[in-house]
Amino acid sequence: MPQRPTSSLAACVWIPLFPLRCEEARREGLTSHPTALLAPDLSRKLWQVSPLARHTGVRPGMTVSQAIGLCPTLRLCEPDPVHYDERFACLLAALNEISPVIEAGELGLVYLGTDGLEGIYGLPEKIVEAIKRTLESWNDGPKDSFHRSIVPSFRVGWGTGKFTAWVAASRAKPGEAVIVPSGGEGKFLASQPIAVLPLDPDTHRRLRQLGIRTLGALAALPEEAVTAQFGAVGRKLWRLAAGQTVEPVVGGVAPEPIVAALTFFTPVGERDLIERAIDQLIARALKDPRRIGWRVQAVRLVAEVEGGRSWLADILLKDPTADAARIVAPLRTRLEQAPPAGAVTRLVLELTAFAPGTTELQLFARDAVAAARAGQQRALANAAREIRQRLKRIYLYHVIEVQPWSRLPERRYALIDFEP
Amino acid sequence: MVAPARAPLRADRLRALNVPQPVAVECDAEDRPHTVDTIVVEAVLESWRIDDEWWRQSITRCYHEVLLDGGKRVVLFEDVATGEWFAQMP
Repeated sequence: MPQRPTSSLAACVWIPLFPLRCEEARREGLTSHPTALLAPDLSRKLWQVSPLARHTGVRPGMTVSQAIGLCPTLRLCEPDPVHYDERFACLLAALNEISPVIEAGELGLVYLGTDGLEGIYGLPEKIVEAIKRTLESWNDGPKDSFHRSIVPSFRVGWGTGKFTAWVAASRAKPGEAVIVPSGGEGKFLASQPIAVLPLDPDTHRRLRQLGIRTLGALAALPEEAVTAQFGAVGRKLWRLAAGQTVEPVVGGVAPEPIVAALTFFTPVGERDLIERAIDQLIARALKDPRRIGWRVQAVRLVAEVEGGRSWLADILLKDPTADAARIVAPLRTRLEQAPPAGAVTRLVLELTAFAPGTTELQLFARDAVAAARAGQQRALANAAREIRQRLKRIYLYHVIEVQPWSRLPERRYALIDFEP
Repeated sequence: MVAPARAPLRADRLRALNVPQPVAVECDAEDRPHTVDTIVVEAVLESWRIDDEWWRQSITRCYHEVLLDGGKRVVLFEDVATGEWFAQMP
C-alpha cells in the first residue's frame, strides 16, 4: 500500500456553521433573517443557529417550540446532509489544486499540508493568499448569494502542526488569515484561552476551577503534575498547550483506476439491458474498498461490439461524486445520443480519476440515518405509551412467523403484543 | 420463528392470524357450494384438498375458491371429519 503523504507545516481553512452557510448560499434572503438548521434526525431540535438568531437567545439543542418562543421570526431549515457533503467535496477538490496533501476534518474544516509549497508560492503569506484566492473563486452556484454567505465567513490559519494552524484559524477574523511563524508557536499559543483545546466539558470545568484560563498557564505547570491530575488526556493537552505536539497533516493517496467488466453470453443490442449492466458495473466499482474516502471524477466506459468494433465514452464529472445515479446519468445520455453500432459483447467500466472525499462524511450521513431510525423508535414508543394510558391496554401487535411452511393457513402467522 | 426485538415471546400472548370463520354453506347436488350465508355462488373457481397431521389427529379439508353474487371472492373449506364449513383467507 503506498505511503500516505504528510506535511508538518499546515494551513487550516475553517468555515464555521458550514451547513447553515450552504443553506444561506442557495436560499435567497436567508442571511438577513435569524435562521436555524434542524438536526438531521427526527428529534426536531436545532442543530446550527445563525449569529442573528443567537442574539435573540436561540441556542443549538433547543426544541423548535422553545426557539420560536424566543424568536418568533426565526426561519427554520430542514437539513440536507447530502448537499453539504457535496459542497464540502467541491471545497476539498478546489483546495487540492493548491496542495496535494489535504486532510478533511468536520464539515467546513480542512487542513492543507504546505511543506514544499514555498518553492511554488514563496513565503507563508503568499501561500495563504493563494488559498484565499481559491476560496474566493470556489463557486459553481449563484455568485451573489455565495459571496454574501460563504466567502466572507472563511478563516485561514497557518502554522507548524495542525493544532497551531487550527488555533490560528479560530483566532482569524472572517475572510482573513492568521500566520504563526515557525518558532513563534509557544508565544502565540500561550495567550490563547483553554477553550481552543479539544476538551470535554468536565475537564474544561476542572481547569477553570484550578484557575487555568490560558494555554500558557497550563504549559507553565509541570507536565507530570497535569498528567497526575488528568491522566493521559492531561499529558496530551499539556503537550498541545506547550507547542510540543506537532500533528502533521496526513493526505490520502488517490487510488489506481478501478475496473469492473461484464461479458455477455450472447451479444446484447437492447439499450435497457446495456443500461442495467452499466448500473451493475458502477455499483460494483463503487463498492471497491480502494474507493472509500474518494469521489469519482472521471469515468470511462468501453463496449466491445460484435465484429471486432468498439465504443468508448469518456466522462468528466463536473462535481466529483460517489453517487451511482450521478455517475450513470451522463453515460446514459451518451448511450442515447450515440449508441454502439452493433450488439455489445463486453462492457468495461473504469473509474479513472478521483477527488478527495472523506470517510467521515459518509459516517455523518450514516449517523443521520441511524439517528432518524432511533428517532422513529422513540416516536413509536411514545405513541404506544400514550395508547396504553388512554385505553388501559395496548392494541398494537407484531406479526410474527410461527410455521410459515404449514399447509394450514391459521398456523403460519400470529400476533404478539407490541412493546417498544 | 422470528422473535420481535423487545417483547419476550410467550405462547399465551400469541394470537393466531387467519383463524377459520364458521359460515353457513348449502351445497348443490354435486356437493359444491351453492350459497354462502344465503348469498348465491356464481362460480367455483378452484378446488383443492388438504390431508394433514394424519399421524396424530387427522385434518382433512376440502377447499373451494368461489365467486359470490356481487363479485366477492371467498375461500371456503369443509372439515370432512365434522361436515362444518368455514371461510378463510388462502
